[in-house]
Amino acid sequence: MTTTVSTKRTRPRGDGAAALAFLTPSILTFLVFVLAPTVGVLILSFFDWNLLSDGTFAGLDNFRRLFTDERLLGVYGSTTYMALAILAVNVVLGLLLAVLLETRMPRWIRAFFRLSFLFPFVVSASAVALIWRFLLNKDLGLVNYVLGLTGLDRIDWLGSSTWAPISVIMVNSWKTIGFSILVYIAGLQSIPKQLREAAIVDGAGAWTRFWRITFPLLSPTIFFLVVINTINSFQIFAEPRVLTQGGPGDSSRTIVEYLYDRAFGDFDLGYASAIGITFALVLVVLTAIQFWFSRRWTHYQ
Amino acid sequence: MNIPRRKVALACATATLAATALAGCGSDSETTSTGAKALEIVYWNYGPAAESGNKATADAFTKAHPDVKVTLTPVTGENWGTYYANVATLIASGKKPDLMVISGEGAQFVHSNNLVKPINEYLEKDAGAKAITDDIAQGLIDGFTVKGDVLTLSYGWNDMVVYYNTDVFKKAGVEPPKADWTWDDFKAVAKKLTADTNGDGTNDQYGFTWASNEIFPGIMPWVANAGGNLTSDDVCQATADSPQVSKAVTFLDDLIKEGVAPAPMPMSDVFTRFQNGQIAMFGAGRWPIATFLPAGFKDFDIQLYPKGDTYKTVFGGAGYPILKSSQNPDLAWEYQKFTVSDEIEKGYVGTADKPGDSIPSRRSVAHTISQVGVPPANSDLYYDSIDKFETLVPYPAPAKYSTFESTVLRHLQQIFAGETTVPDGLKAMQGELTGIVTC
Repeated sequence: MTTTVSTKRTRPRGDGAAALAFLTPSILTFLVFVLAPTVGVLILSFFDWNLLSDGTFAGLDNFRRLFTDERLLGVYGSTTYMALAILAVNVVLGLLLAVLLETRMPRWIRAFFRLSFLFPFVVSASAVALIWRFLLNKDLGLVNYVLGLTGLDRIDWLGSSTWAPISVIMVNSWKTIGFSILVYIAGLQSIPKQLREAAIVDGAGAWTRFWRITFPLLSPTIFFLVVINTINSFQIFAEPRVLTQGGPGDSSRTIVEYLYDRAFGDFDLGYASAIGITFALVLVVLTAIQFWFSRRWTHYQ
Repeated sequence: MNIPRRKVALACATATLAATALAGCGSDSETTSTGAKALEIVYWNYGPAAESGNKATADAFTKAHPDVKVTLTPVTGENWGTYYANVATLIASGKKPDLMVISGEGAQFVHSNNLVKPINEYLEKDAGAKAITDDIAQGLIDGFTVKGDVLTLSYGWNDMVVYYNTDVFKKAGVEPPKADWTWDDFKAVAKKLTADTNGDGTNDQYGFTWASNEIFPGIMPWVANAGGNLTSDDVCQATADSPQVSKAVTFLDDLIKEGVAPAPMPMSDVFTRFQNGQIAMFGAGRWPIATFLPAGFKDFDIQLYPKGDTYKTVFGGAGYPILKSSQNPDLAWEYQKFTVSDEIEKGYVGTADKPGDSIPSRRSVAHTISQVGVPPANSDLYYDSIDKFETLVPYPAPAKYSTFESTVLRHLQQIFAGETTVPDGLKAMQGELTGIVTC
């Protein structure tokens, strides 16, 4: 930081100092809440530490354990399954809903729908998960009651290894899709009207207009949402924790939940940190792939 | 003044860990207190009630001893386990508390780590001590006695009893259960209470359910009454695949299979379903009344768990042991005694609108619950269950308690969801527990 200050000071009119002043809050929060913990986790992963004692140097033991942990791969599997599903729902269904919301309709209806979709996004994840847990109970929940009226059998939403991850996907998607819709709407509104009007004059149908104009011009938005939703959906915690406690077995357990339990259930902070590092690497690689891929199909105006 | 034993189960994992750290710190004799007349007390800040309860006790103590300065140090934690871990970090950072709140299952761990100062000599020297201990159930003293050392007086505790919705019983024309009921009686009653009340062809009222997120109000009373336990008596080996555990889990699993119990749910959901009559019976300590009564729900009563091959009350207490790091152990003893004084114990009785949420440890005070008129009607049973019946000792509370409990719950979840059979599930549970329950 000192070097930044000195180089900036050579600039005229003190712009650098002003910029630094404006940046200080975010730099400080980054240092304290992102960089310091990251470095801490990196160091911890080489130690055997239970929160209380001084901790002993363990070398690569924590990383070796990753390969003998019988549950880890399964948890990665459940995490990936749920994360990809949530990502798909957000990116595909989100786009569909955003396009629908941008069609002609009375203003108050539009406002109502926008609010309904965005509302879950702003409320606390664990609070809504508590309500969903109540609604999704197999024998006493409202969801199965309503399904029962149509003659369907009761579904064990939270207890069966088939349905438990699906419930997590549904509840998390329901919560996050409002944000995706919001971003899509912003993207849709930034597409110049003239382009669509010109296409209409040229006789292009709605489908052609969508694929030839809207979709390409929306690709930076889609890319943004893919990256953000990947990172967010891989890190879900509250929904599986509250809805299913990660079960049955590990069928709806996410890697964040798993490492949390290693750290604060087993008091094995070294191993939890090692898991955390593998997970951070996975996210970095995924994001890198997405950036590489985006160059091929993202059109910036 | 309600400092409940929310979870009978204590995360001893941390107790051991904590104990090591605490013992290490306890030995330095650096003076931190300003004089002899100061006390620092550490408690688990699980919510607003913990703060007001501890503050009320401290204020009352300061009123009686104006020259003593009491400092309360709230410590957070999502359960007893993390609370212990956090206390240890606190002590490692140089604090020297005089007393800390602990729950009973941690007794042997704090003892083996030489963390607390036993109160035996005070019990002998103090002229008023005998009157106090005579008024406390032997089980509560035994629960805090390790190898002859009495670690603390217990101020409050909870036992596991069956709650039943009197309104639902009345509507179904079912007699209230008696204390000597058996598992067969219980099942028959539960079946009668399972009903389709709205006539849509499927049941929407169930006889019984249990907490899916805790083992003490969950399977432990059934395991105890089947004559078993989840660990060996020295808490060094897991016994999850024993015939007794299998019998208990099979009984509960059958309740689900036969449609008498709904898919299991966590305790907070059970509370709600019980209040609105969807569940006729469930099991817990005294703490539900702190939720039920302020909400105006009074249509319930309690009874002992039904008898299986035996009957044993599952219980757990809490107390304020004197820490070895204390600079003023004599004063700390006065404080500990004060936590079981009439004044404080009456706080656990509470009133009909603002009830206490654990059972006072002093028999004479506990028996005033029904006189004061705090529901349920059968409140005398809370204390009688430890005074007049056999109790489950020891607690299945191994060193890695929180790992132990989550492992048990994870396998039970699979069994009760029908994802695996009882024998296979318990075998897998035992396999995993073998590496967790050790000495």
